[in-house]
Amino acid sequence: MLSVADLAKRHSGAARPVFSSLSFAVAAGEIVALVGESGIGKSTLLNCIAGLDTPETGAIRIGRAQTDIVRLDPAGRAALRARQIGFVFQAFHILPTLSVEQNIAVPLLLGGVAANERAQRIEALLARVGLSGFALRRPATLSGGELQRVAIARALVHKPGLILADEPTGNLDPRTAGEILSLLLAQVRAEQAAALIVTHSQPLAMRCDRILTLTAEGLR
Amino acid sequence: MNTLAAWLIAAQFARRRTTSLLSLLAIALGVALGYAIHLINDTALADFRQAMRSVQGEPDAIVAPRDTTGSVGLALVEELTRDPAVLVVAPVIEVRVRVDQHALPVRLIGLDVFSAPAVMPALLPEGREAQASRAILDGGVYASPALLAKLALAPGDHLSLWRGNSRWPAVLAGQLPGSRPGDLLLVADIAWVQAHFGPPAGVGEARIRLAPGVDATRWRQALAERLPSDLLIRSDDDDSARVSNLSRAYRVNLNVLALVALLTGAFLVFANQLTAVAQRASQFALLGVLGLSPRRLMLQILGEALAIGLPGALLGLALGHALATAFTQTLGGDLGGGYFSGSAPTIIARPLPALGFLALGCAASLAGAAYPAWLNRQQDLAQALKSGFAEETASSSARHLWLPTVLGVLAYGLAQLPPVGDLPLAGYASIALLLVMGITAAPWLTQRVFAAGAELPLAAHQRIALQNVAQAPLLAQVAASGLIVSFALTISMVTMVSSFRLAVDRWLDEVLPAPLYLRGKATPLPDELLAALRQPDSPFARFEQTMHAALALDVQRPNVALIVREIDRDQPEARLPFTGAVSQPPPTQPVVWISEATQELYRLHSGQRVRLPLLGREIEVFIGGVWRDYVRQFGAIVISRSDYERLGGRFAASDLALWPQAGHSATAAAWLAPLAARFGCEVADAGEIRQLSLSIFDQSFAVTHALEAAAMLIGLFGLAVTLAANVWLRARELATLGALGFDRHMLSQAVILEGVLIALVGLLIGLACGIAIGAVLTYVINPQAFHWRMTLSVPWPSALAGAALTLAAATVASRYAARQATRLPLAQILADAQ
Repeated sequence: MLSVADLAKRHSGAARPVFSSLSFAVAAGEIVALVGESGIGKSTLLNCIAGLDTPETGAIRIGRAQTDIVRLDPAGRAALRARQIGFVFQAFHILPTLSVEQNIAVPLLLGGVAANERAQRIEALLARVGLSGFALRRPATLSGGELQRVAIARALVHKPGLILADEPTGNLDPRTAGEILSLLLAQVRAEQAAALIVTHSQPLAMRCDRILTLTAEGLR
Repeated sequence: MNTLAAWLIAAQFARRRTTSLLSLLAIALGVALGYAIHLINDTALADFRQAMRSVQGEPDAIVAPRDTTGSVGLALVEELTRDPAVLVVAPVIEVRVRVDQHALPVRLIGLDVFSAPAVMPALLPEGREAQASRAILDGGVYASPALLAKLALAPGDHLSLWRGNSRWPAVLAGQLPGSRPGDLLLVADIAWVQAHFGPPAGVGEARIRLAPGVDATRWRQALAERLPSDLLIRSDDDDSARVSNLSRAYRVNLNVLALVALLTGAFLVFANQLTAVAQRASQFALLGVLGLSPRRLMLQILGEALAIGLPGALLGLALGHALATAFTQTLGGDLGGGYFSGSAPTIIARPLPALGFLALGCAASLAGAAYPAWLNRQQDLAQALKSGFAEETASSSARHLWLPTVLGVLAYGLAQLPPVGDLPLAGYASIALLLVMGITAAPWLTQRVFAAGAELPLAAHQRIALQNVAQAPLLAQVAASGLIVSFALTISMVTMVSSFRLAVDRWLDEVLPAPLYLRGKATPLPDELLAALRQPDSPFARFEQTMHAALALDVQRPNVALIVREIDRDQPEARLPFTGAVSQPPPTQPVVWISEATQELYRLHSGQRVRLPLLGREIEVFIGGVWRDYVRQFGAIVISRSDYERLGGRFAASDLALWPQAGHSATAAAWLAPLAARFGCEVADAGEIRQLSLSIFDQSFAVTHALEAAAMLIGLFGLAVTLAANVWLRARELATLGALGFDRHMLSQAVILEGVLIALVGLLIGLACGIAIGAVLTYVINPQAFHWRMTLSVPWPSALAGAALTLAAATVASRYAARQATRLPLAQILADAQ
């Protein structure tokens, strides 16, 4: 589902590359944790995979069609993200001016899903993430755990092949973090999506199928 | 996608209700003013053309004398009648007369009852054709219903018509049912009018209807080539162009004022959208990360602007229509400009111009959002998602001086260009460039002011705040730009109006040398009145007479006033305010003195010899000098009574300047009043005329003061909104400062200091730009549009008082922003930033 080949990235003006010759793959239904020291380039790698940053060399192929996101223009990358990728962030990033159901509907609207189907999918997902009855609530009235549940619902609602999560439990207390992680892993597995989770949390990493460690020398 | 756009737009409106509504109202105001001015002018012009046609009909050609005191010879009328290409020739004589003791001058039109029906059906009397013809041939006069109502007359009444020394009885035979409402007209037989009021050997005009199939343009060209030089031939199109030219510059000026209102609306949208973009940078970035393409993101921001602009423009159209209706009822069709007096037409909207103004309102709104949309597109998605709006992406080259310097040079160059079609289009472009120059100079000056401020012995928190703004002056530029634009426009208008008022005040001193004035309202003064003034018991030591006529030097332009005055041809500077040296005329040659407008419109100059169509022939005259005239923007020519009479002209004064004998100043006016009333004349002393002139001047600029006030309010509002937004954008920085030991009072002080300094930058640039724009208005726009020249005079006390007041208001606006800063949930912001 995700295939990274010979990827290298150097920030402009920097003497040393952030990383070079990175190659790995994540299969459908597989959940991979990406760990490493702060500043080692985990977020940069995630940004490159999402098409938000451009690597110097290499290829990043996503989805059954194995489209190389590196070769696409900004509009093409946006379209690929809208179809194939779901995101979960540490800071939740829920649009504060939209209701819970409107937030979850954003990927469906970008994909042109009809109103009826949209409503059904949102209702089902809200039930799956434990937020039934929250559809019309405003983000400001939700707790951190509830916000991250909304984010997980939004990441899955358009049935993407790849989930990218950046410290999804970083802003949560240990108990809530555990609940959210369970929910995320269960839902990703239920959808048979591939997932790459950037984390500093050892317990979280341990619950994934595989752990990739990014070091100055490359991936281990 | 559309649903998402609609949700986001609705959410944006809900969140920024006040600023969105104000932006919408500002766009509505701009569109309303522009549309109202268009509607009024369009309707007034159509109405005026219609009125002109109802009186003169729709002839294919009109032959008329170039000098309004002249006539078209009867021989030529005969010749035209015999031309096989001509279907009918309708001769006309028009004079202004008084009816009984009424002071109101009335148009008396003498027409030929046999030819008039084919050309001027609206002037036909009521009743059966034969009966009406007989009545008119018997010396009966017909009046328009409006005149009957105005003077309380009825058919069958016996009237006394008089003009100068001529006074004739007439019988009111009936009405003119075809005349338009408001037309004050009398119609009589042309022979009767000629016999009583002249001209003796000709007619005023010959209105011609050509035979079917005749090429009117070619026929007119052929006739023009063989017409004597004192006559002209004009068409319906020439008359329409002349009517349009009457108010063209005034109209364009009002439209530019409306555009200023629209510009302030666009600026509000700009401030609104830029702060919205900056506040929502991470939200827009999220949408981009989730898959909204960069193009759609940009369209979203433009769509939000359109959601303000479209309803604003629609509201503006409705408001404009209402304003136009209200204005025409209160000020008339010329908005008080004095071009189409008495006209109060019914406003009729047409779809195409309405769509044009709708598009203009939307375009202003979109233009206001274009830069914020572009700026948002430059944001790095990942960075913006993490840290919000990043100013570093704005080009640092914007802080250099090259752009404002280039704009300034371009603005100066444009100000040197001549008018285009009598309109100062390059001057208007120069003003726009000066405004942009001011805005682009803001980052440079902001950096300098804030960097210098940070070196002052201030408290640490204030120095840090100043250093921050010096490093990232983009939002300071946005905040200052509102003040730059509004203060520059205000200062420029105040400077221009002050310069103009001072010039008019001094000019009135020169053109009103006598203590008392008497006006005959375009009709000659009777000898009886003049004789009374010459009697030994008259309290007047002397008086000077003036006669008014007009010359058609260009058929498509309004006539040039010909003023015949009792003036010493060797010492004209005693009576006329010359702009330069007076040239001594050759002793035997007639001399004229032309106004600045005549000089510029007809490219004449002092010392030149020109041929003028005077007294039925072309006469070579010497131009002795150019004088200043703030009244007749289409030109005036003064000739001395001695020269005029030497050339064979018959002097018939209509105005007098009177000097009472020593010690009789108080009684002279009282002595003159009943005499003037008896002959329907007006009397005013120089003080009254001065006061009336200045009060008309002040009234005509009242609308600009209202716009200045609106612009300043919008500028201050923009400052408050942008400063408050700045607080939100710098929330993390402020929270960090708070964590480092800044208490809320210190944060508040820092924000207020920033606001005041930003306002100071805006006011400094606004003042400089305002004076520069004032100079363009004074030296380019006024001379090119209206041919009014004056010297620039900056009203420093008013300008500095305005700046101080604005700075005080800006301090209040900064306090509003500071209050936002003290309300920030600092702990939450720091926690979120982890």
